[in-house]
Amino acid sequence: MTATDWITAVLMPAGALFTLIGTIGLVRLPTLLGRLHAAAKPDTVGLLLILVGAAFQLPNISAAAPLLLVALFQFTTIPVLAQTLGRVTYSRGESSAERMVVDELADAVRHAERDGDDETLGDPPGTDAPGRQYGQRQQRPRAQ
Amino acid sequence: MSAVGDRDHRTTYRRLLGRLPTVVWLTVMWALLWGDLSPGTLLAGAGVASLCYAAARLPHLPVRLRVRPLYVTRLAARIGWDLLWSSLQVAFRILWRPAEVRGAIVAVPMRTDSDLLLAMVTAGLSLVTGSLVIELNREQGVVYVHGIPIDSPRAAQNLRRRVRHTEELFVRAFGTAEDVARFEAAEEEFAELLRASPAPGGGHVGKEGA
Amino acid sequence: MTVLDYVYTATFAMLALGVLCALVRLVRGPSVLDRIVCLNTVSVLLVSVVAVEVAARGDTAYVGLMVSLALLGFVATLTAARFAERRAHDRD
Repeated sequence: MTATDWITAVLMPAGALFTLIGTIGLVRLPTLLGRLHAAAKPDTVGLLLILVGAAFQLPNISAAAPLLLVALFQFTTIPVLAQTLGRVTYSRGESSAERMVVDELADAVRHAERDGDDETLGDPPGTDAPGRQYGQRQQRPRAQ
Repeated sequence: MSAVGDRDHRTTYRRLLGRLPTVVWLTVMWALLWGDLSPGTLLAGAGVASLCYAAARLPHLPVRLRVRPLYVTRLAARIGWDLLWSSLQVAFRILWRPAEVRGAIVAVPMRTDSDLLLAMVTAGLSLVTGSLVIELNREQGVVYVHGIPIDSPRAAQNLRRRVRHTEELFVRAFGTAEDVARFEAAEEEFAELLRASPAPGGGHVGKEGA
Repeated sequence: MTVLDYVYTATFAMLALGVLCALVRLVRGPSVLDRIVCLNTVSVLLVSVVAVEVAARGDTAYVGLMVSLALLGFVATLTAARFAERRAHDRD
């Protein structure tokens, strides 16, 4: 066992463990958005650890360079996927509002629908008081 | 007549120059994928990259960034730390009473107005475990972030603070001088508003309940 | 067997368990988005498995496979998610 072997021996199981916990979360978490978090992010961390562990087993740097490409690719795609899936989840109404502490997007949508036009969410930034109306609206009483 | 031709010539030239970084980047990817750096590979890579670029007809976005190494380091450290720490947090909650895990969607007004910076901020937020941008309201510059696990209004405040801190680091790491100045002006305006109408719970726009 | 062989076996076992968990959620649903998320997870796990294989053999012949698997998983998930969104709009 050389030093690089030890690094691999630590990083790989750690990465696999992260991935495993993420997928356990996929089974056990009660909400779709929660499962989305659990599925996407710990998997990425796990894959990254495994890739670093694998890179230490390769003979030279030029052999390990493509692994960097895989890691880079994963890191650029995960935000896109997470955001798309999150938006679709919300727009399909499967976001389980009863399990949320606050849902300020629902408030904004409600106010927009009640007031009926696109002036409702407050002034755009750059005008006199950005966020002013927005903040006031958020302070209105709400059913708890 | 000749002036017009000259201008056309120059814009074509500039457009090609603007595309150069993308082509170079694609060529580097190609070389990485093949795993060797011989001139033949590079040439073929550049050829394929320009061909794909021409075929895809991508819109040309003006990229105006200034990189400040100190803040980039801080940003990278921040995101790396967030990634690891919140992964551990989420992992813990998955193993310990997962049925009670609750989340929250908070609205966070953004202080920057640059498309590119906003895209970077939302990507950075969605990358980190436990936060996810659901919606971005471009006109008002408000992002709606879903966070997990969040059990109390205080945890929601924490999420809000984290989002704002990430935004600040992104602006200071990559924003042009103009972006940073605008950011600071917006920051100042927010502070003014909060002094005028002190809101409970740490002074951020958008409160839990009344 | 050296220590590293045990490490690889343990890693493979954990990844396999992970795939099993993802398949459980895939069967249980209940939403189509759950299933999309599961398929994406399985594709990421497959990439991880190939990475372990690359390390175990010390040869990079499979790296192209990893890249294309990751690419395929990404495009498939994105397409499926967009499709789910479209269908929800059509239903309204």
